Parts: sequence; structure tokens; C-alpha cells
Amino acid sequence: MMRPIGSIAFVAMLLALVFVPWLAPPALIQFGTTTLLLATLAQSWNIIGGYAGYASFGNSVFYGIGGYGTAIAMVQFGQPFGVGILVGAVLGVIFALLLGLPVLRLRGHYFAIATLALAEAMTGVVSNLDIAGRNIGLVLPLRKGDAFFYELSLGLLALATLTVFWISRSRFGFGLIAIREDEDAAGVMGVNTTLYKALAFLLAGFFSALAGGIHAYWITFIDPVSAFDITLNVMMIIMAIFGGAGTIFGPLVGAILLASISELLATEITGMASLFFGLVIVVAVVFMPRGLTDLTRRFPGLGWRYFRENLRLHRL
Amino acid sequence: MSLLLQIVVNGILLGGLYALMALGLALVWGVLNIVNLAHGAFIMLGAYTSYYFFTLLHVDPFAALPLCMLTVFAFGFVLQRYVLNLIVRAPMFNTLLITFGVDVVLTYLAQIVFSADFRVVNPSYAGANFTLLGATIPLVRALAFAMAVALTLTVWLILGHTRLGRAVRACAQNLVAARLYGVEPRTVYALTFGMGAALAGAAGGLYGVVSQINPYIGDPLTAKSFAISIIGGLENPLGVVVGGLFLGILESLTSLYIGSTYTDVASFGVLVLVLITRPRGLLGKTT
Amino acid sequence: MKRLLFYAIATFALLDQAGAEPIITLGASVQETGRLANTGRYYRDGYDFAVQTINDRGGVKIGGERYQLALKILDNQSDVNLSVRQYTQLLTQDKVNFLLGPFASDFALADSSASEKYEVPMIQGGGASDQIFSRGYKYIFGTLPVASKYFESTVQAMSKLEPVPKTVALLYADDAFDVAVAKGTRELLQSAGFKIAQDERYSSNSSDFSTLISQIKAAAPDAVLVAGHETEALNFIRQSKSLDFSPKLYSFTVGVPTADFRAALGRDGNFAFGMTSWLPSASQKDDYFSNAQLFAEGYKKRFGYEPDYHAASAVADVETFVKAIEAAGTLDPKKVRDAIARIDFESLYGHIQFSDVGQINLPQTVVQVYSDNVIPIYSQKGFVNKPRYPMPAWDKRP
Repeated sequence: MMRPIGSIAFVAMLLALVFVPWLAPPALIQFGTTTLLLATLAQSWNIIGGYAGYASFGNSVFYGIGGYGTAIAMVQFGQPFGVGILVGAVLGVIFALLLGLPVLRLRGHYFAIATLALAEAMTGVVSNLDIAGRNIGLVLPLRKGDAFFYELSLGLLALATLTVFWISRSRFGFGLIAIREDEDAAGVMGVNTTLYKALAFLLAGFFSALAGGIHAYWITFIDPVSAFDITLNVMMIIMAIFGGAGTIFGPLVGAILLASISELLATEITGMASLFFGLVIVVAVVFMPRGLTDLTRRFPGLGWRYFRENLRLHRL
Repeated sequence: MSLLLQIVVNGILLGGLYALMALGLALVWGVLNIVNLAHGAFIMLGAYTSYYFFTLLHVDPFAALPLCMLTVFAFGFVLQRYVLNLIVRAPMFNTLLITFGVDVVLTYLAQIVFSADFRVVNPSYAGANFTLLGATIPLVRALAFAMAVALTLTVWLILGHTRLGRAVRACAQNLVAARLYGVEPRTVYALTFGMGAALAGAAGGLYGVVSQINPYIGDPLTAKSFAISIIGGLENPLGVVVGGLFLGILESLTSLYIGSTYTDVASFGVLVLVLITRPRGLLGKTT
Repeated sequence: MKRLLFYAIATFALLDQAGAEPIITLGASVQETGRLANTGRYYRDGYDFAVQTINDRGGVKIGGERYQLALKILDNQSDVNLSVRQYTQLLTQDKVNFLLGPFASDFALADSSASEKYEVPMIQGGGASDQIFSRGYKYIFGTLPVASKYFESTVQAMSKLEPVPKTVALLYADDAFDVAVAKGTRELLQSAGFKIAQDERYSSNSSDFSTLISQIKAAAPDAVLVAGHETEALNFIRQSKSLDFSPKLYSFTVGVPTADFRAALGRDGNFAFGMTSWLPSASQKDDYFSNAQLFAEGYKKRFGYEPDYHAASAVADVETFVKAIEAAGTLDPKKVRDAIARIDFESLYGHIQFSDVGQINLPQTVVQVYSDNVIPIYSQKGFVNKPRYPMPAWDKRP
């Protein structure tokens, strides 16, 4: 549950972050924008993966669809960014419904594999569409001024986090948690599991699509390989899990921490970033599968035994 | 008409290669319930092993196969025994993540050790072919097909008719009971995973002869192996051969009639369809 | 004792002086790891060799003062999005003076937006696609010849062969560079009167060409032109052998002039045609490396592998900056940009001069592989050597 000090701190931090573009060097703004977008993706995954327990490995589909919707609207139809991002979001929601309904009937790792397959299939489909520039992709109009993208991403993250906050205190949210813990029991208790799952998937798709649209315009370039990047999926999942899936701030904390360290490595010891990333995943999954929020909550009481407990529970 | 025949033959042979690649993944997944996203990296390791044996010691790739299998087996055994064992009883999702992490680390290390240069294994018979019923059949692919079938049958026999196989299946069904019967699960799991790795190594051993080797060949192969395992079905080792053939022929026909840029759409589209309608695969039961 | 002290102080004074020389930093985001690292390294090493050599020869001279060149290279891990962010970082955080390009057209396409946004010139030797230069950007220059003209010399040579090939199959990957090549090649073939029997597009990074080869074999064209990457060319040749496909002639946009390509194929590489905009000949003079042949030898000695046109192109990029900075007499990005647009000099890579849109215009020399040698066959002046044509069937090769 959230104590009042938590929400005050959150709002204070948010206000502070708003002023970053005026105080920080351009490289920091750039880093900030990337982190904010990743955090949004982690937060959107949190809705379907953390709360509902449906570990989707294919949220990058919506990220890519949002990006392409924006790009096609702006490049092929000459629309301004506002229209483009709207198109991207609408497409994201439509696909979330179309693809979600059949796929959400699957459970456990079959669901994960199905979403992964969707991402791969989508890459293939888009790379054959002329309107999307086929495998070459599209070049978006140039817009100078990174502060714009930074503030936009910050706003999006705030919106996503507020949504998760609302979910955590609503009947909808409790329904999702019930589905995660025991879907059949939840159904018996009167939870409309199909509706709730679809709604969660839709929300995840909506935010991912918006993030994708902003990113495409910011980088001024989109192509199938980078838009539907599978690694992005794993990154958003590991950030959410590292921070704590099923919590409000977990994905944010995870995203900021991991992105910072990864970016530091990418600039200073270029090339090592992927090695670091892989090692973090392995260590985190083994020793702290419930994330940092769980760690910070239980470590004071248990000490190092916390890690041993996790091992004991899961090892053969 | 003979073009169609040739294309179908190509598809069958491609299917054989695919089946060989997917066998290790399907074994580990179907029996241990471990989804190994680092499977492609094991194939890559097997390929490099074969390359070094060929280039430095002039060992023929087919002769080097047992060595490739042994090397990657050892690797897989150690990985399972000391790393993957730690999360076997955790939610399945954790295995997906941890094996992904292992994949990233292995690829990075391979780049450092082997460099990004592409390598090939080019024995004198690499381009040999023979004609049958009007279709040209590359020799190495035909041999790979035969090997895929042979290895699949071997796995099927081991699982069904040996003590080790029974121990593995016992562990998969009921760990506590298995322990009570004197089976040491940690070793059994490690052995099985090692076997899966060895099979990947075998596929890798031939890979350099039909294609080229670099540290990044792993990921697309893992994705393909996934599709094949699911389409064929995980319950029966022979499902891999069925899945491989299906995918190989599908891709070849798609390439001929629709266009070669649509093969991924076809394979993964079919995978999604199978998952939605018949998740246990073509050879699985429908309930 | 006093003398020792004197020498010590003198040495320190000299060292201090050397450190005090002003520096011009060139920044680049290159594929050092990832799937393009195999070619990316030519750029990293080419830039490095050029900077080192130019510094040894006195560096850059602006208004009587000597400047040393420094290089800041970041590894983009073959990820386009990361390379865009890295270029922005190089400009805003590392505050480099000028930019050198990455390898590959799709990278150059995306990365040039950074140089245009911040109005700092970028010279890249890795992207040839016409698309890079058709957006009206002012700050991007390219030293790889225009993609759509890659096969121009080849088509000219083909029309002079005996017997003239009648039908041609065109195969191309679906990335920016190869699509641009195919578009131009189609027009070249049509205006030269060749019949295009097959026009097939395939997925980049495909490893299996069996179906395509079987299709082409059934259509039996006289010549096959392939626009793709090195590994695709490699797989194509090997799979052609195993499917017993042997046209009268086949030519590839990349791969053929490169040493490890020929090493990997061995004798199977014989008779393959290719092209290069650069050959390490002693007659190609250079202000810093003396000539192209000495450059190639020095490069091989320093890095352990032979350079090809990628490396030479990278060196040309660095040299162009030096010449432009010296001509402009300042480090101001806009003035240097204008100086680059007007540049005109001979380097080990060739004649450096840019068109209105910023791309170089270098003719390709048609080459052919035989016995691990790359033999120049046809250049703008006509046939240099006799081509081995038509290609014998696989089982009839010497």
C-alpha cells in the first residue's frame, strides 16, 4: 500500500524531473529520454505481466506498431506529429484486441511463446509492406530540440504510472491479481477473466504504442528490425522484474537503475554493455526473482538469508 | 513440374537440417520443461568446435561430430548443474529469462574469443551432389537429413528403453517419488540438459559446411527451433522431424509461389495458428 | 649533476610543449561488435591508421599553428538506434569537432540526421544508397560511389563480351543499399538491351538460397547479378555448387575483392566477378601514405589483415577533413562544411570530389577472382585483362 509520504515524494520527484532540460547537459537529456521511454515500456508490461501474471514476450509488437503508425501518417500522408501519434495509439489498441483475444486463451509459457511468435511474424509482415518502406524503413521529418521529446516521455511515464496506481486500488486491479494467483478460482468467483485480461493487454498495448511513436519521431528513423526488436522485450521485462513486478514503482526503479549502468558502460567501456546486461539477468533471476522492492522490504528483516531463501525455494 | 519437384526436395532437405537443429531444444523442453533460449548459442559453439578441428587438426567434419557433441555436452552439463539447477523449481518464466541472459553472455564471449569474422568449413565434398528422379540433391544435406532421423530415433530409444531414460521421465513426472527410488535428480537433469546441448552441438558441427559461422548465428536458429518444436509437438521426439519437414517444405513453397521475403511471415504465422488451435502440435493429442 | 638537471628540465619542457599542442577531435560510432563487426573493423582501423599517419607527418596546419588529430570511437554494437544516440552524445557531451561515418547505408541514413540537427559535417565512407543524399541535407558527405551505378562498368563489360549474354537474372537483398543498386541496375540493363529473366528480392541475412537458385537454374539465364552482402554472396556460391548451378557469368556487389571471402571459398571462388572502387596500386598517389600499395602493406603489417576499399574509403574521409580544415583555415563547422563541398584532391583512394548532393563519383573496376588473385578486368578505359568467360560447369573446372 502507498503511504502519504510516498505520494508526496513521487510528485516532488516528478516536478524536479520536469526541470531537467533547463539544468542538465544535452547528453543527460538524451539519456533521460531513453530511460523514460524504457520505464514506460516496463510499466506497460507490468500491467499484463506483473499484475495479471501473463508474461508477454511480445510487447515490442505494439511499440513497433505505434512507431509505424506515427511514421506512416507523418511520412506517407504528411500529417503533423499530433495526428501521427494518435494513429499509432489507435492502431496499437486495435491490434491489442485483434491479437490479444486469440492469444490470451493460452496459459503460461505457451502465451509467452505465442507473443514472441507474433513479434517475429509482425517483423516479417511489415518488411513486405510498401507503405511502411519495406525492409528499408522510413525516415521521419527532422525536429530540433530534444527538450520536447524529454517532456513528452516524462508525461507519458507519469500517465502510465498513474494508471498503474489506479489499477492497484481498483476492483479491476484486484481482479487481475486474482487471475494471476489462480485464474480458475477467479473465474469461479465471478471475475470476468476474458474481459479483464483483454483490458490489461489493451492498456499495455496503448502505452507501448505511444512510447514507440515518440521514439520513432525522436530518432527520425524506423525500420522493422529496430522497431520490433526482441531484445527490447527482454529489457522491459527484466527492468520490471528487477525493480519488482506487480508494484507501482518497481518498474521505474528497475528501469532507471539498469538503464543508468547500461548507458554508462556503453559510453565508457563500449561493448561490455551486453555482457553486463546478461550477467545482471542471470544474477537477478537467481537471487532476487521478486525484484528490488521485495528485496528492500524483506532484507532488513532477513539479512543475507533473503538470498538463501530464494535459492532454497527454487533450486533442485 | 520438375521445378516444383526440386523445390519440394529442397524443402525436405532443409527440413532435415531444421529437425537436427531443433532436436536438442525439443528434448530439453519436452522432458525437463526447460525452455532454453541459449540453444542457438550451443549450436554456434558446436560449429566453432568443428571449425577448429577442421582447420587446425584437419579432422573431417563428420568425423569430428562426436567431438563436437562431447564438447558442447560438457558445457551444457556444467551450465545446468551449477546455474540452471538453481531455478528449476521457480516459475517457468525465470528459465526463459535466465537462459536469455546466458545467451547474451555466450554471444559476447564468442565475439571476444573468436572475433566477428565469418568462418566456413570447406571439406572437398562440400559441394558434392547427385541426381535422383530429375532433382539435384546436395550430398551434405542428404547426410544431415539421415543424421537427424538417426539421432531422433536414438533419443526416442534412450528415453523409452533405458534406465537413464526412465530416470529422466521419472524426474519429470514426480521429483519426490523419483528421489525415493534412488534417482539423483540433479545429475539426471544435468545429464539430460547435456544431451540436449550435445544434440545442438551436432547440428552446429554440420552448420559450417552448409552455411557460414559467426558469433551471431544463434538467435535466428533458436527462433526456428522453437517454431519447429511447437509445430511438431513436444510429447514425441519424432515430432521434431515432422515439424522440421513441415516448416522446410512450407518455407520453400512460400518462397516459390509468394516470394522469398515472406518465409518468416509464413513460419511464424503458422506457429501462432498452431499455438492457438492445436497447442500440442501436429503429433500431440488434441485434448 | 648540473647538466643532468638541465637535461631533465629541458626534457620536461619539451614534453610539456608536446602536450600543449591543440587537438582536433573526430568522432565516430562504428560497428565494432555485432553482426556487422566483420566489416565495421575496416572503418575503425582505417580511421586509426589515417589519424596516426597524419599526426606523424605533422598533423593539421591552421594559420601557422599545428594541430594534432584525435579520434573518439564508440561501439554501436551493430544497433542503428544506439548509433544515432552515440552520435548525439559525441557532439553534445564529448564535444568532438567533426564526425566520421559508420558502415552501411541504413546506419548512414539514420545517423546523418544527427549531423544535420547539430549542423556539424559528417563524412562517411560506408553508405552508398542514393537515399542518403536525396533529402536535401547539407552536412552529410559520402565517399562510396553511388549505389545505383555499382553495376555500370559490369554492364558495359558484359555488352562487349563474346558471346554476349542475352538473359540476366537480378537478385538483391531488401536493405537500403541493395534496393538502390537493383533499381539502378534494372535501368542500366534495359538501356543496354539485356533481357531481365528474373528479378528477385530476398530477405537480408538469408542464409538459404536453395529455392532461389533452383528457380534461377530453371530459367537458365546467361548471367546472374547479385546485390547483397558478403555472407550472402558466400552462401550463394557454395549453394550454387551443391545444386549444380553454373551460369556463364555471375557478379557480386561485395565480397569478391575481400581476402577472407576468397580464403573461405578457396577454388570455388574462381571465375566469380565482382567490383571495387579501389585497388592497391602504386600509381595511386597520396600526400600522407605515398601511394596505395604502400598503404596496403603498412595496414597489413599493423593490423594483420589486408585492407579493401572500405578501409581506403575510411582513410579518404579523414584526409578530406584535414584538407578541408586547412583550406577553410578554421574549425568553424559551417566554413569547413563549405570547404568540403569544394574539395578536389588526389588520395590513395582515388580522386576526391563531391557532387551537389554530397556524394563522390568514382567508377567501379570490374574484377575477377582466379587462384586467389583479384584480377582487374574492365575499367573506364576498357578491358585491362582478358576475362575468363564463359564460366565452366562445376565438374569441368580445372
